[in-house]
Amino acid sequence: MKPIIEICGLGKSYEGRPVLADINLEIGPGELICVIGASGCGKSTLLNLIGGFVKADQGEIRLNGRLVEKPSRQCIMVFQEFDQLFAWQTVRHNIEFALKKAPERLSHPEIRSRADHYLAMVKLSDFGDYYPNQLSGGMKQRTALARALALSPQVLLMDEPFGSLDAQTKRELQETLLEIRQETLATTVFVTHDIREALYLADRIVVLKAGAVAAVIKNQTRNTDETRVAEITALLSP
Amino acid sequence: MKIKELFLKPYSKYIWIALMLVAWELTAKLAPVSPLAFPSLELILTALIDSIINGDILMQMLFSLGLILIGLGIGVALAFMMSFLSVVSPVFASFTDTCVSIFHPLPGIALLPLIILWIGTGSMAILFIIVHSVLWPMILNMTAGFKAIPEVYKKIGKNYEFNTLQSIIRIFVPASLSFLIAGLKISWARGWRAAISAEMIFGASGGIGGIGWYIFNKRVFMDTAGVYAGILMIIAVGIFVEDVVFGQLEKNTIKKWGVA
Repeated sequence: MKPIIEICGLGKSYEGRPVLADINLEIGPGELICVIGASGCGKSTLLNLIGGFVKADQGEIRLNGRLVEKPSRQCIMVFQEFDQLFAWQTVRHNIEFALKKAPERLSHPEIRSRADHYLAMVKLSDFGDYYPNQLSGGMKQRTALARALALSPQVLLMDEPFGSLDAQTKRELQETLLEIRQETLATTVFVTHDIREALYLADRIVVLKAGAVAAVIKNQTRNTDETRVAEITALLSP
Repeated sequence: MKIKELFLKPYSKYIWIALMLVAWELTAKLAPVSPLAFPSLELILTALIDSIINGDILMQMLFSLGLILIGLGIGVALAFMMSFLSVVSPVFASFTDTCVSIFHPLPGIALLPLIILWIGTGSMAILFIIVHSVLWPMILNMTAGFKAIPEVYKKIGKNYEFNTLQSIIRIFVPASLSFLIAGLKISWARGWRAAISAEMIFGASGGIGGIGWYIFNKRVFMDTAGVYAGILMIIAVGIFVEDVVFGQLEKNTIKKWGVA
């Protein structure tokens, strides 16, 4: 199958200090890729490069064969910060917000029904009229996820979205994400430093170490037992 | 309820005002003061009611309020344009910064002689002074608000493929609303002061001179109670704008969103 994202010889430095060097990666449509690595290894930079938020110094990234030069609605980012939601809008309006200026010119009932659909998908149907400051951290991240999905992007970029949640909430959100994936088949690049999370979610795990791809591991079994965790920990340690 | 608690409520302002009025009345009645300098509340209220009935004070007040509303509108629009251009262009931002540091500390009244030379003494001149008092604090707050926008909001704007104008209107303005309201409050207070001062100096070149002119006029005729009546009106409008207009605005926006 033709890859949806092709990364070729990608390199990026900040103030002369290389962050990523010679990254090559192909991501197939519908795949869920987890990028793991220690903090400062360049995971977030890689995600920002794929999203077009920063420019590469070397190499290129193609999305559906087209060079990524700036952020686009095809490739929506979900952030770790709880305050990524617009505080001045209710949960529903946060989701509808991006649809109102959609190039496909959706009608008002269409926008409403899409918002309803994604609210249900993230299990927030009863919270549409809440303002973000009335929500828990997990609910905020659910809303952010619904907001991203509402645009039906080809690629979902997730920058440690569950990183600040407690273990229980994190697991619930991971389950929701897997359910959503069954339904939408969105290609997802998920950055995390939590090995168990990567093992639980990913089709393939990309291990980043010091700005280079140390390994790409197939993860069809989604086996999260200790031996698997130890295997990947060994890959991460210097 | 304990007496102390009365003063911790939102309405404590009105209790203090009542106490001050009592102190005023006692001084006017019991102390050896001239009623010309220190008229009793009855005299002031009579003057106020007379003025309200013959429509004079309300007309002057409406005139002043109309002027300041137009001035606020123009000032806010200009401030928005300059703040917008400052976001777009760092070169323009440095120009804006320079303008603010030159003009912000400059009282409009100090410009009066020049304004009289340029545009005479009518309402246009007062409007000019109001716009001057509104523009600079508003720019200061708007640009500060825009600078304080979280990086993640800017990224989302880019992700949605908003252009700069869309980003500013749809994300920057609501996200910095607490700054904008603070700017509006300062601008309103400065503009209001400037308007009344200018009215007192210019007088009624065209029939109605505004509440400042009203007070000045009362002083000319030694109607001290009338002067106080005018001052009372100004205070009442000030409290109304602060508590009702801005109070409601905040209650329905930043307080509701939990960003105040």
